Amino acid sequence: MMELPVAWANYLSMGGFVLLGVLVWLIPRKLIFQGAPEASLWRDIRWWATVLIMVQLGLYAVFT
Amino acid sequence: MHPLDLIIVLAYLGLITFVGLRLSGRVKSAHDFFLAGRTLTWGVIGLSIIGTNIGANSYVGAAGNAYSVGIAQANFEWIGAIPAMIFAALVFIPLYWKAGVYSIPEYLGLRYNQAVRVAAAIITSVVAVVTIAAALWALALTLQTYLGWPTWVGILVTGSIVGAYSIAGGLAAVAFTDMLQVCIMFVGGLVIVGLGLAETGGASGFASTLVGDNPNHLSAYLPADHETYPWPGVILGLGFVLSPAYWCAGQAILQRSLGARSQWDASAGMMFAAIAKTFVPLLIVFPGLLALVMYAEIEYPDQALAWVVKNVLPPGISGLMFIAIIAALQSSIDSQVNSTSLMVTRDVRYVLFKNPDPSKDLKVGRMLTLVLLLAAMAIAPMIAAMGGIFTFIQTVFSLFQGPMLALLVLGAFTRRVTPTAGLWTLLSGVVLAAAISLLGLNMLYVAFIGFVYAVVALWVISGFTEAREDMDYDKLTYVPWRKS
Repeated sequence: MMELPVAWANYLSMGGFVLLGVLVWLIPRKLIFQGAPEASLWRDIRWWATVLIMVQLGLYAVFT
Repeated sequence: MHPLDLIIVLAYLGLITFVGLRLSGRVKSAHDFFLAGRTLTWGVIGLSIIGTNIGANSYVGAAGNAYSVGIAQANFEWIGAIPAMIFAALVFIPLYWKAGVYSIPEYLGLRYNQAVRVAAAIITSVVAVVTIAAALWALALTLQTYLGWPTWVGILVTGSIVGAYSIAGGLAAVAFTDMLQVCIMFVGGLVIVGLGLAETGGASGFASTLVGDNPNHLSAYLPADHETYPWPGVILGLGFVLSPAYWCAGQAILQRSLGARSQWDASAGMMFAAIAKTFVPLLIVFPGLLALVMYAEIEYPDQALAWVVKNVLPPGISGLMFIAIIAALQSSIDSQVNSTSLMVTRDVRYVLFKNPDPSKDLKVGRMLTLVLLLAAMAIAPMIAAMGGIFTFIQTVFSLFQGPMLALLVLGAFTRRVTPTAGLWTLLSGVVLAAAISLLGLNMLYVAFIGFVYAVVALWVISGFTEAREDMDYDKLTYVPWRKS
C-alpha cells in the first residue's frame, strides 16, 4: 500500500464526492422539507449539498 | 500591546458578556437551557457549529501543521469534514429529530440499552472536561503573551465570563455568542489573507514562491509512507471513521441542531456549516503558508500564526486577530460545558439515580455547568505538566470513536443489532483498538481497523443474542424509502 501513487488519493476523493452527489438525490423530496415553512427551491438542501460537492471536486482537482 | 488593540479586546469581552446575559431572560426550563427552547434558526446553528468546531488546536496547531506539511492540512476541513457533515444533515439529524432525544447517548440508550447510554456519556464527559481545561490553559497563555496577564488571572477572567453567560443563558446564549465569535474569526482571517497576498505579490506570486521552495505544499495529499498523514490513512481513518464519528455523533456539535426551531432548520444549519467549513482553511491554514512564503524566522512551526499577527497586521487589526483567537477558544469551551452538563444531568443522572425529578433538571444543569467549569479551571494549570495524561485521555477517546460509529451506523440503518451485541462490541472494540495502537500503528489506521472490527462483531454477535421486544424501529431507524 505504501507504493500507491499520491494522485490516486485525489481520484478516490473526487469519485467519493460524485457518489455522494448521487446518493443525496436518492433521498425523497418530502423528507428534505420536513418542518420547512414552504417547499421552495432554495429550501431544497440537496441543491446546497450539490453546490458544496462541486466546490470540493474543484478543490481536489486543483490541489493535486 | 497598542492601546487601540486593548480597546478592541475590552469591547469584545464586554459585548460577549452583554449578549450572553441578555439571553438569560429566555431560560425558564431545562428545555430552554439545554435546547434553547427549540428556537434556533439555521443561520445561528450553522455559525455556532463552526464556532464550536474551531478551537485551540485549529488556530495555532493547524497553522503550524500547514507550515510543515502545506495544504494537506486542509483535508481536516474538506474530505475530513464535508462528506460527514452532509450525512449528518440529511440522515442523522432527521433521525435524532424523529427519535425526539436531547442527546446522542440518549439515542444510543433507546436503540441499545441504558448501559451503552451511560458508557457513551461518561467517556465523552471525561474527555470534555480535560478538553475544556486544555482550552482554558491555551487561552490563559494567549492572554499572558499579548496582555502580560498571569495565567491564573487569564483562567479566572475567561472562566468567569464564559461561566456567566453559559450558566445564565444556556444553549441560546452559547449559540448566539458563538455566532458573533465566528463572524469575528472570519473578519480577522480574511484581513490576514488580503494583507498577506498584498505583501507577497498576489495569489500567483504567493503560489509560485510557495511551491518554488516547497514543491509538495500545494498538494492535497501526502505520500502513502508519510509518517503522520499518509493518504490511505487520511481517507480510511479520517474520512470514513473519525470525521463521521465527530460530525454525526458529537454531542457538543449536534446539540444546537437538536435545539432548532424545526427539523429543516436543523438540517439546513448543518449544511450551512459545511459551506462555511470549506472556507475555514483560509483562516487557519493560510497563515501557516504565509509565514513560509514570507520566510518567517521562527523556531517551531506552531509559532507561525503569532509571527503573522505580529509582522503582517497593523495596530487595531492585530487586536482583532487576537480576539479572533480568544473567540475560537471561548466558543469551544462554552459549547463543551453546556453539552457535558446536559449529558451528566440526563444521561448519567437519569440512569444511575432512581426516580430523578425532571423539574429539577434546570437547577441541576446550572449547578453542573458551574461545577464542570470550576473543575476544568482547577485542572487547567496542570495541563502542561500532565501532557502524558492529556494525550492518554485523547487517545482513549479516539479508540472509542470506531466502535461508537459502528453502533450508530448499524443501529440507524438495520433492525438486526441487539443491545447485548452493542455493549460487548463497544467494550471489546475499545480494547482491540488499544491493543493495535500499542503496536505503533498510525492512529488513522487504528481508527479504521477498530471500526471494521466493530461492524463485523456487532453483526455477528447480534445473530446470537435477542433483540428488545419493546423497540420502536420506525422511530429509531432511518429507512427513507419505506411505504408510509
